[in-house]
Order: sequence, then C-alpha cells, then structure tokens
Amino acid sequence: MTKKKSIFTQEVIVGIIVIALYFIFRGISADFGKYTTFLTLTDISYYYVLMAIGVAFPLITGGVDLSIGTGLICYALAGGYLIRAFSWPTGLAILVSILFGVAIGLANGVLVSIMGLPPFLATLCTCMITRGLGSVVTGSFAVPWPTAKQDNGWFHAIFKMTIVTADGKMKFPLGLVWIILLMLVMQFVLAHTRFGRYTIAIGSNKEAAILSGINVKFYHVMVYAVSGLFAGLASIAYAAYVPTVQPGTGAGMELDAIGGAIVGGVSASGGYGTIYGTVLGAYVIMLLKQGLPYIGLNANMQQIITGFVLIGAVVIDIIKRRAIR
Amino acid sequence: MGDVNLNKADDVILTMKGIDKSFPGVHALDHVDLELRRGEVHALMGENGAGKSTLMKVLTGIYTKDSGSIWYEGREVEFHNTHEAQEAGIVIVHQELNMVGDLTVAQNIFIGREFKKGIMIDDKKMIRESRKLFDELKIDIDPKAKMSDLTVGKQQMCEIAKAISHKAKVIIFDEPSAALTEKEIEDLFSIIRDLRAQNLGIIYISHRMDEIKVITDRVTVMRDGAYVGTLITDQCTKEDIINMMVGRVIYEDPKTKSAVPADAPVVLKVEHLNAGKMVQDVSFELHKGEILGFSGLMGAGRTETARALFGADPKQSGDIYINGEKVEINSPEDAVKHGIGYLSEDRKRFGIVVQKSITENSTLATLDQYMSGMFINKAEERKITERYIDELSTKTPGPDQLVVNLSGGNQQKVVIAKWLVRNCDILIFDEPTRGIDVGAKNEIYKLMNRLAAEGKSIIMISSEMTEILRMSDRIVIMCEGRKTGEIRIEEATQEAIMDKATRDIK
Amino acid sequence: MNGNVGALLCCFSGVDGTSRGFFERKQSAKSNLDPVGGKKLEKIKQNPIIKKLGFNRIILFLILLLMYAVFSSVVKGFASMDRILSILNYVYFLGFLALGVTFVIATGGIDFSIGPVMFCCALMAGYTLNNYGMPVILCILMSILIGFLFGMFNGYLVAFVGVPPFIVSMASMNIAKGLGSVFTKTQSVSWPQAADEAGKGWYRNLVKYNGIPTGLILFAIAVVILFIVMNNTQAGRYILCLGSNKEAVRLSGVNVKKWQMSAYVICGLLVGIAAVFFVGAYTTVQPGLGDTYNNEAIASCVMGGTSMVGGLASIGGTVIGVFVISLLQEGIMALRMTKEVQMIITGLIVIIFVYADVSARRRKN
Repeated sequence: MTKKKSIFTQEVIVGIIVIALYFIFRGISADFGKYTTFLTLTDISYYYVLMAIGVAFPLITGGVDLSIGTGLICYALAGGYLIRAFSWPTGLAILVSILFGVAIGLANGVLVSIMGLPPFLATLCTCMITRGLGSVVTGSFAVPWPTAKQDNGWFHAIFKMTIVTADGKMKFPLGLVWIILLMLVMQFVLAHTRFGRYTIAIGSNKEAAILSGINVKFYHVMVYAVSGLFAGLASIAYAAYVPTVQPGTGAGMELDAIGGAIVGGVSASGGYGTIYGTVLGAYVIMLLKQGLPYIGLNANMQQIITGFVLIGAVVIDIIKRRAIR
Repeated sequence: MGDVNLNKADDVILTMKGIDKSFPGVHALDHVDLELRRGEVHALMGENGAGKSTLMKVLTGIYTKDSGSIWYEGREVEFHNTHEAQEAGIVIVHQELNMVGDLTVAQNIFIGREFKKGIMIDDKKMIRESRKLFDELKIDIDPKAKMSDLTVGKQQMCEIAKAISHKAKVIIFDEPSAALTEKEIEDLFSIIRDLRAQNLGIIYISHRMDEIKVITDRVTVMRDGAYVGTLITDQCTKEDIINMMVGRVIYEDPKTKSAVPADAPVVLKVEHLNAGKMVQDVSFELHKGEILGFSGLMGAGRTETARALFGADPKQSGDIYINGEKVEINSPEDAVKHGIGYLSEDRKRFGIVVQKSITENSTLATLDQYMSGMFINKAEERKITERYIDELSTKTPGPDQLVVNLSGGNQQKVVIAKWLVRNCDILIFDEPTRGIDVGAKNEIYKLMNRLAAEGKSIIMISSEMTEILRMSDRIVIMCEGRKTGEIRIEEATQEAIMDKATRDIK
Repeated sequence: MNGNVGALLCCFSGVDGTSRGFFERKQSAKSNLDPVGGKKLEKIKQNPIIKKLGFNRIILFLILLLMYAVFSSVVKGFASMDRILSILNYVYFLGFLALGVTFVIATGGIDFSIGPVMFCCALMAGYTLNNYGMPVILCILMSILIGFLFGMFNGYLVAFVGVPPFIVSMASMNIAKGLGSVFTKTQSVSWPQAADEAGKGWYRNLVKYNGIPTGLILFAIAVVILFIVMNNTQAGRYILCLGSNKEAVRLSGVNVKKWQMSAYVICGLLVGIAAVFFVGAYTTVQPGLGDTYNNEAIASCVMGGTSMVGGLASIGGTVIGVFVISLLQEGIMALRMTKEVQMIITGLIVIIFVYADVSARRRKN
C-alpha cells in the first residue's frame, strides 16, 4: 500500500487562500490595510468562526445544524434582555446565553439521535423555533447590550483589549487569541478524545460504531450540544460586535458558517474534517464578505461568490475522491 | 481432530435452547438448540437463509429472541446489545466488515474502549497494543494505516485481532474465510488452533466443506431456520453433512445433457472484458436458448463481470457483440436497449423499488411502451402486469400490492416480470434463488428452463453447486477475477468445478 | 365560500390514491406484526373511500377545519370574505413553492433555495419592468425563466455532478440573494400597484378580478396538472421510484440523472410562477429575504405526507398543508401576534409530523 500524502491538503490550500485574499485586498485598497480595518475584521470574524467550529461537529457526523444562526440571535436577545429588563449582572447573563445555546443544542441532539428525525429537518424546525422564541422573549424589541464604556460592558474586553503603550492607547484584538486557543482545544478534542473519535465514527460508519458497543445515541446528542454551545459563545461575540441585537434576524448566518467548514475541508458527507481547516474556511468566507466593498464591489457580490466557492470546494472534493477510486 | 474430550459435559460454556424468532412473514428460527464447549471449534452449517446468522445475532444481542433460553457459564443470560455480549466475553467477527474507514487500524481495534490518559486518548498505547496483537497473530499490518486503505483480507484480519483483544471466551467467526487468500486462511487456522488451545469456545460459520473437516470438532447443521442435528466432525463424512443440510431430493436432479443444439447461434460474445481487479480479461460466448452457469467462490468476480457487461459499473476495456454485431454498452440504459436484463443478487437494493406497487415495478424498464401521448396508460400497464402475475403465478392479492409486502420468491418474480415485459433476449440471473424458500426456488428453476426453451438466453451466476449442476447447459468458472475454465454439463462434476474455482489460490 | 374551498380540497386529496401517507403506512406495519388485529385494519384499509383519501390527509383536513372554526370563534369577523381572500393570497405563492419542492423531496433531495429564488425572480423581473420598460408579459416569462434556470443549475449539480442537494441549495440560496440584491442595487422593487393601470396592471387580475379569486382557479388548474404529472407521467413515476430506490431504477435501464434533474427543473419553473403570484398579491419585494418561505413550503409538504426520505409524495397532501400554514399565518396575525409565533408553531407541528413518519417507518422495519 503506497501512501501518497501531498502536503497540499485542502487545509493548507485554504490557509494560503486566506493570506492571499488578505494581501490582494490590501494591495487594491489602501483603506483595507489600515489597523482599524483589521480590528473591525477581527471583531466581525469571531462569531462566524465560533459558529463554524461548533457546526463542524454535526457536519463530521454527516448531519448539519441549521439552527445556529437564528439561535445565536435568540441567545444574545435573551442575555441582553436579562441585563436590560432585570438588571442582571453581565456575567450571569452571559452564562444564561451560553446555557440557552447548549439547551437548544441538546434539543437538536434528542430530535436527531433519539427520535430519529433527519438532522436537516430537525434543525430547520429549531431554526424556526429559536427565531420565534427570540422575538417572543423580548416582545419583538431590539435589545442593546451594555457598551464598552459602561461598567457592565466589561465583556467587550474579552474580545478587544486596550493596551497602554509608550505611544498612547492601542487596541489589541484579544479575541484572536481566544479563537486560536479554542481552535487548538477543539482540534485536540476531535483528534484525541473519545468524543471526537466517535464523532468521526458516526459520520464514517454509524452501524460499525453501534456494533462496537459505543453509546452512539449519547455521543450523537453531545455532538449537537457542542454545536449549541458554540452558538451560545458566538452570541456573546455577536453582542460585543453589534450595538443592538435585532429579533427576527440571523437566518442565513448559519450558511456562512457551514460554508466555511465545508470550504475548510470538512466532508459534506461526513467522516472527515479538521477544526483548523474549518477556522481557515470561515475566514475565507468572512474576508470575501467584508473585503469586497473595499475593492469597489457590491457587498452582495459576496453572496454570489460564496455560492460558487462552496460548490467549487465540494466539486473538488468529489473529483479527488473519484480519482482515489 | 480428536484431541478434545467430547464427553466432558461440564465443560459446556454456552447452551442455547429452543431459540425462536419470527420476523413479519418469516419464521427465521424455529426452536433451535446449540451447545458449545470450552476448547472446541464448533461449525455451524446450513444453506443461505438457514438461520445461522440470525441465531448468532440473537446470541450477541442484536436481535431479541421471541422465546427460548441462553445459558452462558452456568447462568441464564440475555444480552441487549453487542456491548453487553462483548463485556461478558462473547465476540463476533462479522461477515460484513464493521470497520470505520476513516479511522486508523489501531483506532478501530480499540473503538469503544480506548485507553485513556486523563481526558486524552492514549493513541501510542493503542498502537503498541495493536502491534502486540498482530505479532501474536503473526500478521503484518501497520496499526497506523487508515482502515479504508487496507485490502479486504487485511481488514478481516483486523476484525479478528479486534475480537481477540476483547479477552473473549467465545468467538464467533461468521464466514471469515470468504474474503481471504489461501495464505491468509492458513494463518487464520493457526490462530484458531491457538485459541482453542487456550480453552476458548469457537463457533465457526462457513460454507466451505473442506475447512470444516480441517478445523472443526463438531458440526451443528441448520435448515430453514430449524435445528437438524449435531455431528462429531471426525465421525462423519462430507456427504452426511450435505444430506443434513439439504435433507431433500429436489436439488439432486442434475442436468445430464445440454438441451442446446450444437449449432445454436451465438447471441452474446464478450471478449477481453476488463473492469478493475475483479474482472480481468474475461471472454465467453452465450448461445441462443442456453443457460450458462457462472460458478466460483465468493469474490471470484462473477457479479462484477455481470455488472460490467451490463454497464452498471465502468469497464476499462473489452468488446461486446450481440448477435454478431459489436455494441457499445456504457450504462444500463445501453444494455437494456440491446435487450439485456439483469436480475441482481441483492434484490432489495438493486432489483425492486419496495415501496412501490407490482405494476410500477413491472413496467419500470418499459414505461415508454405504456405511454399514450404524455400520459401513462394505466389500463394497459395493469393488463400486462396481471398477465405476468398469472404467467409467473405470483402470489398477490392484485397488481396494486406494494412489493414490500411480498415474499422473497414473489419479489423475484416481479423482477423477472420486469424484464419479460421488456422482452429481453439475454437475461442475467445473479443468485436467482438467494433468500428464497424451497418451493419458490423450484418454481424459479422451472421458469428459467421454460424461458430457455422459448429461446431466451440466460447467464446464471450461482454459488450453489447443486443449482449450477441442475440448471446449466455449460459452466464458466471464475476465480479471483479471471475465467479459469469452461465445462460442458456432460463433463461437469463438483470436483471438476471446484478444482478450477480454486486453481489460482496458492 | 369556505364550503367551496373544502369541497375542492376534498377533491384534490380524493383523486390522489397512488401515494400513501404515514398514517396509512402505520396501519400496514401493524397488520404485518399482528395478524389478528391486522384483519380489522385490513378491512379499514380496504374501505375504498379511506384508501383513496389516505388517513393522514383526512386528519390534516380535519385539523384545517378545526383551525378555521377556532380562529372564527376567537377572532371577531375572521369568517369574512376579506380574510379568505387574504388567506388565498398567501396560498397561491406558497402553494406553488410547496408543490415545486414536493417534486424535489420526492427524489429524496431537498431545496431550500426556493424562497430566495422566488424573490430573486420577482426582483429581477420587476426591476426590468420598472427600469427598462419591458412589457409585463415578458417580465412574467422572465421570472419563470429565471426560476427555470435556477432549477437547471441545482438539478445539474445534484444529478450529474453529485453535489449533495443540501450544499447545492445552500449555494444557490446565496447566489439568488446576491443576484437579486446586485441587480436591483439593493433597492426594493414595486410592481405596478393598480390593476387598472394601462398595459401594466393587468397581471394583478391573475390573482383577483372584480373580487373574484381568479388565482384560486389558476391554482386549482395547476394542482390538477401537477397531480397528473406526478401520478400519470413518466417524469412523476421515475421521480417517485428513484426517490425510493435510485439504484434499482438505474439498473432497469432508466436514465436516472435526467429524471432526477427534471424534478429540480419542475421545482424551478414553479418557483418562477410563485414569484408572479407573489407580486400579484403583494406587489412589493425586498432583496435579501425569502428564507422563511422555504421553511413554510417544506413544512407544508411534510405535513401532507411527503416523506423526507423520498419516494412518497402527495400533491393533495401538500395542498392541504399549504392551506393549514396560510390559515395559521392569517390567524396569528388576526390574533395580533407576530409572525415569529407562527414560526414556533410551524416548527413544532413539523417535528410532530416527521416524528410520526419516522416512527412508523421504524416500526415497519
């Protein structure tokens, strides 16, 4: 059995594309190269990347989680509402947002794993439900989280820290550090823990996993719980980025996250994927989304390009697999 | 193999008594008994569909039994899933491979019970342990290789290594040798002998009579879901076992003379067909009105040949002539256009659309002929379906019956009807009687003979020697993707066929 | 009026005897396991009327009537002609979307680009109408053509290239949204408002003419045609069969790729038509939206007994499902609740219906 392992895996190629895109945009637009633009870009990227990391797990099991986009809004609304209406401390509200995400994730897991609904349909339903819940909770009003300048707005510093240097004040995108850390942790979880291994096993050959005595139902539920957890985390990053959270939005964000994971080499039919690939893929989508206006293109062109990039990524995957056979 | 004390009844490790199991429409197990002792290799034999696999699935908790009892190490037990059975020390090496292709060998062997170091999986230890296992078994497999990169034989070995690593007391081998080469089988046997020496109980399911004689101590024979009897291998002959397995005479009716005239025209000629590893340079001719048997062991490449010929799988090279004219067949669509019909070995997956009615299945290949303008002429469709229900005596309340509600034999008739409606001249029957009960089998045979007499030409792939000898006018034998022989029925004997079917195995 | 609608619905579900819903399948599953109880159920199954209508569709229809009764008693003036016309406005475009996606789901695929594609059609055609002065009839054809092209695109990628339907529809959803926005420069588009506007407004008569719901007549005709397509043509037969067992159909010598693609093309055409009825009813379209209609259309199909696994589809069932959703949306609005409440309810209903389908299948195997 000869092994031909090219160093140009999809992950590496996507990494190169991310860097190339960044410098192409920089080269065309002077504005794009500014440090403030860089800060804005990183700010926006957090919630996309978090969602993508989470959704990679259901994707690797051969499923999908469509509820993360509307879910994110729902959790952010719930947390923000607790701060606004009941003056809850920010920390507690953040915890509630995250736990809310986990709860919806668990619900998805139960629907898919225990009740046997097709993942796509089950999470489409929770997508509708979370979208509705967010509005019902807040009475359809937009909810602003505390701003960075307010006392209870400390959570902004998680993502963007102000450093005092000799030249004066400077903002540092601390969130990038967290993202990299989380990426490493989740890659570790995927590659070196039972949970990760069984995630791959479910996606590759569920029957074999069951026959090996693995509690597949349990792990399958947990896969969706992880996706929910990361949607919860993403909701905090989102709250830190936008001034107010609008109910009824969020549909479509999950597609960017899923697209990122797929572009980053997660197999659309399950069984294979990496978290660093996912993160890089999410950055490709994010750069396209945010970068096009800088080079004088309509921002909506991004959607069209994203669509074709997505199909391109999957087609390449299909061709590669055919070549192996 | 007389080195086992067969009188020591207290050495019994496992007893299954009066196991009964029914599925909708099928009485799969009818009060079956089985007794296994420590340090014994116990063969479980029976034809396809005799209920061996079902019995083992009941034992390992995949199916729940309807009645009966299982005694293991002196206690009555009932396992609810394979995991419980494994914990207790009963492990099955499956016929179908149960491997996670995207994981490595070591990861597969220890799946579900990984070694841990804190929260982390200790992959290094798993690789070490796998190596140890492979060393013990004297097989050369890299534990770090990805499972889907291995050959089927190697995957099978991993499966065995996995079973052994479970500290099992009872190991069930479900046709382990089907995918192995001769060398690998020898390795397997030495492994089994080692295990027996360690006082394990081994259940060995196989169709290969020679292996049974070589490796097993006792044989339990099942037929049509029922227990027939248990013999001591040394004290019985091959014929004894076959008689118990068959237990009826209807198969003992070999054709002695070909019904095809010597000058019958060649309707199909295949030359140098190549398609992957399983079809290498296969050439043969099919005459009008002939039943051409394709014999060979499992994995000889017969089905693959048929599929390549039919255009279901891509072929690399080869010429196909129909009635002397060269034709291009690149898809089933082309094949059907040229009057070839294919009855797959796996009816449910490839033959019928189970959720649809008999009518819809019967006209699946011929819908164009039942159109009036843009619309399906349902009256005509029904008429032709009813005609073939009559002609093939398909048992059904009516043509609207969903195929899923029919028995195996009647489902097969629906598939046959599909090709007869199409008026195909060349029919490929791939294991036409697999999973079909005895009575229906006979009907299918009669039907095939009638079709041949009417001038249809039939290729029949069959793993049952009796079926081959009973039905064929001429027999093509394949082995490991190559055609190894061709025998006219007048000269055909089991020994001659088996000789050619195993010739290439070194 | 309501009576008429009911009778019409009855007729839709009544003629559709080939496909089976899950309640019926549940019965046959039981009859396999339990021969004594099975005989009784067999008798019920053999009842020709019930057999033709299908249990699930009868139940869904009863739910529809019950909902109407509840809304009428709770909301003052709900049983008015205005309300019914308003419900019907929703029924038309959602109906075409749902019927379209029924064909796709029947193949075992999925398309949730339909909502955004519908908006894309309406936006591009409307923009052309307003800015380039193209005749309305051509704009309508343009809308249908765009839908058709999206159908071709989706179908080709799924059937011939082998991209999973889910990914394809995700991509074309993005493309449709982007295209709609880019083409209209991210402005909303208003088709001519007044029906009497010379040469331009006539298209609104497709939906309503002098208070007569002409749209219902057109929709009914479309339903009958699609029913025939699904049950009496080669396309429908092969779509259903390949949804159930694609490989068996391929090995029967059928060009499955072609027929699989045709399901997406039919869907695309219907989405283009849905766009016409959408603007006919509401005239204004905004770019970047349309996702919610996917969910509602898919929900209608699933409720009507079309199985997500493929192979079983019911045009009649989908139509009743569309009426249920449309009634629900009108009722929720009349109760002064938000669209979001409707989504929660729809989501829950779909979960219940799919679970019933899944567990019926499981019992059978």
